[in-house]
Amino acid sequence: MSHAPEITSSARPAILDRIAPAELPRRPLVENNRGFHWITEKICRIVEDPTPTWWKVLFLVALFLASFTLVGLVYVVSTGTATWGLRSPVNWGWAIVNFVFWVGIGHAGTLISAILCLLRQKWRTSINRAAEAMTIFAVCCAGLFPVFHTGRVWMAAWYLLPIPNSYDIWPQFRSPLEWDVFAVSTYFTVSLLFWYMGMVPDLGVLRDRAKQLWRKYFYGVLAMGWRNSNRHWSNYEMAYLLLAGLSTPLVLSVHTIVSFDFAVSNLPGWHTTIFPPYFVAGAIFSGFAMVLTLMLPLRAVFGLHDLITQYHIDCMTKIILATGTMVGYAYAMEFFIAAYSGNPFESFAFINRAFGQYGWAYFIMIACNVISPQLFWFRKIRENHALVWIICFFVNVGMWFERFVITVSSLANDFLPSSWGYYSPTIVDIFTFFGTFGFFSVLFLLFIRFLPLLPIAEVKAVTPQADPHHGDTH
Amino acid sequence: MSKTNDCSVDASGGCDCFRKAPLWLGVGIVGLAVAYVGAFVFGVPQHDYRPLYSLLLGTAFWASVLVGCLMMTMITRIFDAGWAPIIRRQWENLIVALPVVLSLGLLPLVFFPPARKLVWEWTNPEHVLPNGHEVGHDTVLALKSWWLQVPFFQGRIVLYIVIFSALVFFLRRWSFAQDKDGSAAHTGRLAVVSAAGIILGALTLTFLAFDTLMALTYHWFSTMFGVWFFAASMRACFAFTAVLCLALATRGWLKGLYNQAHRHVLGCLLLAFTVFWAYISFSQYFLIYNANIPEETFWYNIREFSSALVDGEWVNVKNQWWWVSLALIFGHFFFPFLFLLFYRSKVVPGRLLFIALWTLAFTALDFYFNIVPRQITDAAFPEGFYVNKFLDVSMLFDAAAFLGMGGIVLGLFLRNASKQEIIPIHDPRIQESIHYHE
Repeated sequence: MSHAPEITSSARPAILDRIAPAELPRRPLVENNRGFHWITEKICRIVEDPTPTWWKVLFLVALFLASFTLVGLVYVVSTGTATWGLRSPVNWGWAIVNFVFWVGIGHAGTLISAILCLLRQKWRTSINRAAEAMTIFAVCCAGLFPVFHTGRVWMAAWYLLPIPNSYDIWPQFRSPLEWDVFAVSTYFTVSLLFWYMGMVPDLGVLRDRAKQLWRKYFYGVLAMGWRNSNRHWSNYEMAYLLLAGLSTPLVLSVHTIVSFDFAVSNLPGWHTTIFPPYFVAGAIFSGFAMVLTLMLPLRAVFGLHDLITQYHIDCMTKIILATGTMVGYAYAMEFFIAAYSGNPFESFAFINRAFGQYGWAYFIMIACNVISPQLFWFRKIRENHALVWIICFFVNVGMWFERFVITVSSLANDFLPSSWGYYSPTIVDIFTFFGTFGFFSVLFLLFIRFLPLLPIAEVKAVTPQADPHHGDTH
Repeated sequence: MSKTNDCSVDASGGCDCFRKAPLWLGVGIVGLAVAYVGAFVFGVPQHDYRPLYSLLLGTAFWASVLVGCLMMTMITRIFDAGWAPIIRRQWENLIVALPVVLSLGLLPLVFFPPARKLVWEWTNPEHVLPNGHEVGHDTVLALKSWWLQVPFFQGRIVLYIVIFSALVFFLRRWSFAQDKDGSAAHTGRLAVVSAAGIILGALTLTFLAFDTLMALTYHWFSTMFGVWFFAASMRACFAFTAVLCLALATRGWLKGLYNQAHRHVLGCLLLAFTVFWAYISFSQYFLIYNANIPEETFWYNIREFSSALVDGEWVNVKNQWWWVSLALIFGHFFFPFLFLLFYRSKVVPGRLLFIALWTLAFTALDFYFNIVPRQITDAAFPEGFYVNKFLDVSMLFDAAAFLGMGGIVLGLFLRNASKQEIIPIHDPRIQESIHYHE
């Protein structure tokens, strides 16, 4: 709803006559004054042009890598979860680490689409589609680990959902892991819906431009009869806003509940009240880093410099800087309160975390998550895209290590020194985890190839030409 | 360049709001005088901590409003928010009161040993704990003594005031300099100060909350406590800003400048931070409840139960703080949340004013909940203590402290506003702000 400002000529404050804003123009969201036609062509041609060789090569490599996960999971199911290197006292290892890592990455998409939409941050338009796709594929990767960690995976439905069965197996409703099932599945469903619904107008464009019959049917079915009518757009805008409102609490709830997996326990290093917002900040941090890791190469390959501008990169790197600093604040609070509490177990957990047998992992985490994003204070670094990509890569590595540090360091040195141990992953752990990057890449490459990488309609809406007063001389 | 130091520029024909600065300052001085009398004439000589808490309550409440304003001044700078300049100028005039409020409220309590010992038990080695031990022989305090030691504590409080003063100084200096020379370079400088200032401000407000509020019950600890203070401060800031701007748009210099879209923004932010406050408060409660570790749960237990002799047996009964807790759940979250979901609640002036005042009242109650409950050592009780009550005659001093600090804040605000442009006329986004629409 739009309302004119309430300044009428009869009640015009005199100070308005002295208004003289300093010159500081806002940076354009689409550079070089590109028109609607150019935007449509640029985005649609990515899908319509013949498949590039690099795509085919990458797809094969990704498929090969994904097979690692397949083989790893088959081996786990046929042999048992002990092949994952889980031994007392570390009965939670890479499985939960990888789950939290991928779910965290799955936060940026809906954050960009929903929260930035509610905050009216128009720069989100160039990156939201790919980020949403990333969200969905990351959640798919995340889901594999807890499902297969249940052991007899063919019975997972009974462990996870309250389905009556003759085994008398029921979910443990008091466990945050069970809440995860509902939180993540709801988040996945709404994110998928949001992603798909946002794509409908663009699928209509691809359908209308399609030359081959299979394309006409493929995009025609997906576009669900989109006709660009006023009524369609009106319903679309309302549905988009409602889904944005619905998704916002979901984004926060998912990682909050993931943090509860640890924080409801009594284990020093896990039980700390700052975990919910700290995990959410960490998820946004890693999600944005992954968006840049993916989008910077795509921007170069597809020549999207006018659509994903330096301003977009600045905004994202600043969010990474802000959330990385929040994560650093949380690390500091954990340490401070551990010392302030006077609880020797808490103090030990954190001193051991930094200087114990997993100290190396802790310092990788600090270097990657707290120190490396601080480089984004400098404009020259934000404008050096190779460096931005490398820092984002470090952030992804650091955020994986954060989950590793939290999970393993607290378990390996718990209350009973006689049972302390050193956890190491097995080759099955390693193969299964690295294979998920292949699985993720397969899905992402298919998305690039067959669906519009950028939201055509939304990008057009933030160009100067979309302003009804564009070109007015008075 | 002519100064806009009176309201005659306003098309309404002028207003006398600037002339009310001495009146509000007078109210502030009288209110504070009553609060000081309560604290130092009734409280200290009678070894009664409660009138001293009045000063702490008034300070915490108004400091939270001003800390929120300070953080929003910086946040809107780094976000380059188009709607903000008109409202940010009011924050810039408000935040000058932050160091004053902290100095007037905290320094007498921190540097006057009899008062300090009554307020912060850990500073009184002779104080007897419910377990019969003196604070001076408390092993828990011994483990915390690297942080909880009096000279260090005093130094930290002074440091917090100095940091806030420095941020206030730089944020105001370059913003007002831009009014004079119209240079866009100031906007860049302010963005840099704000980016660094947010980190500094976040750490300062966190440790201010730890030292002045969390340390009231020094055995207790929560990593979330600083975030709770931030959430409460942001809510208080938006609620107070909504009231202030509405008053200024009705009778002051924002007439014809502060429009429906500005109200909508403040309403949306108030809604967002209502949810954020609930999220933080619930998370802290839930994690402590679920882990059920006695060294943490006692803080919530005394806010629910008191021991009482019923039919010759000691039992736990719900105390007054239980009703305060319920009032916070329903009055400080559910009601404002549901109310603010409606579009008209955010834009209709009367409705926004109502919910803003409501939020401020419940923010004060939230500070009661976090500050006042205390274990009063008494060997007659089976656990060695009883819990003080919410309703207390010292609430009269509380009212004086709230009013006194509020008077100081408003008086300083009006006095400062009269010396500056009423809106930042050369801010690069001033046109966007004036013509801001939904």
